[in-house]
Amino acid sequence: MHRAAYLAFDRFPSAKGSAVHIRHMAAELFDRYGGGLLCVLGGGELPAYQREGGVEIVRFTDVVPNLLDRAEAFSRWAADRLAPHRDTLEICHVRDPWGALPALSTGARLVYEANGLPSVELPYHWPLAAPSTLSKIRELEEHCLQESDAVVVPSRVILKAVTDRGAGPDRVHLVPNGADPVPADVPRPPTAPGRYVIYVGALQPWQGVDVLLRAFARLADLTDLTLVVCSSVSPARARPLRRLAERLGVRIQWEHQIPHADVAAWLAHAELSVAPLTAGPRNLDQGCSPIKVWESMAAGTAVVASDLPVIREVLGDHGRLVPPDRPAELARAIRVLLEYPDACRDLGERARRHVEDGFTWKHARARLADVYDRVEAH
Amino acid sequence: MTPCAVTTGFFTLGKCGQMAVAGCPACGRAVCADHLADGGLCPECAAARNRFGHPAAAAAARRRTYRQRQSQYYGDTVYYSGFDDYDRAAFEPGAAADQDYLDDGDDALVDS
Repeated sequence: MHRAAYLAFDRFPSAKGSAVHIRHMAAELFDRYGGGLLCVLGGGELPAYQREGGVEIVRFTDVVPNLLDRAEAFSRWAADRLAPHRDTLEICHVRDPWGALPALSTGARLVYEANGLPSVELPYHWPLAAPSTLSKIRELEEHCLQESDAVVVPSRVILKAVTDRGAGPDRVHLVPNGADPVPADVPRPPTAPGRYVIYVGALQPWQGVDVLLRAFARLADLTDLTLVVCSSVSPARARPLRRLAERLGVRIQWEHQIPHADVAAWLAHAELSVAPLTAGPRNLDQGCSPIKVWESMAAGTAVVASDLPVIREVLGDHGRLVPPDRPAELARAIRVLLEYPDACRDLGERARRHVEDGFTWKHARARLADVYDRVEAH
Repeated sequence: MTPCAVTTGFFTLGKCGQMAVAGCPACGRAVCADHLADGGLCPECAAARNRFGHPAAAAAARRRTYRQRQSQYYGDTVYYSGFDDYDRAAFEPGAAADQDYLDDGDDALVDS
């Protein structure tokens, strides 16, 4: 019988930033409650059931083609998984409405970790989703956020988005993402090119990888420089961007779905790391706390990123900010930093110290522990 | 019981009559929980201060309460969500979704 449960409508583990986040947040929850139940999505080679000490991992493996049907099927499935623990369950930690619905029916305290809002993100992938459907999803979000005992957000932008959806400001807590320090002597990846600029992450439109490719096309005169894209998604999903890179004639090396443990080495040996997020509603209204930026900082690599409130929150003056969606400005910033390697190194070092002093995953977990303390006290 | 003195109705008007839970601090009229506006005012005093509620807000709240109650009553976890066939159609695999999004079946709705 478990006292705690963590539910996420995400595949876990995976190469995505969300999986890194789940790993640390769930670890804090399960350490505190002596184990617990983890309900996540399965698929691929992942087992449907695992028992790791006191932690039981159950994965939803049904094939349901329609996304809404799949989300609802997940909720029903999760409710069945939670039912045997109803008497002992003290706390449920969720990441989305599909996890929150079954958690609410248990009567346990609910911590809603709002890293994103489906009503904002879904239309990017499902352009035919009607406004009325999105407003229903928003209503669902509002219901779950209002019923939560605590809402955890990674940035001030999303803090505003959740309070606009009715979450009481006294129940919303800021827990920025973090990154673990990278040892200074981490070996260079064997397949790494000589000098390279790196992008790490997924390839959704809001990531602005197309802007980076266009910027890199303007750096064609730097013949010893390669762009390395460590994509967290498969080559098939990178197809449109690969085509764009070919058309622009960019010198690029694709690395797909490399294990998270290897990413630090790629970051540490790069000249620069770029986070070219776009100025769309996903980044401006919803917000995020990009793990790629945190991890680049922890690796001591200078970051060039879009000048957005969410990035300013993370990077402060420990990186170089450029206007979003402007390839020429991005290319200029990269070129300037490459021409002043001392300044670039200094920027990276300062960023690394900033992360070590207050934004490692250990710090994030301590902040989450404070939230659990408060939830338990009420 | 003090009845709520807020006027209701579209064509045939009348007093609300539900049990009042507060008095409007501006005009003193008795107000029930359903009609309590921002700052504990009655709807008319709230409107006079430009605090108009969205007309759909009250209906949405009632719908939400109803669904939540039914969901608990029938033990149906997703009764609340209330999506219909029209909503679902946009999420069929062939419904103009970003094809590359579907290739490796990654279901994550949000990424940190």
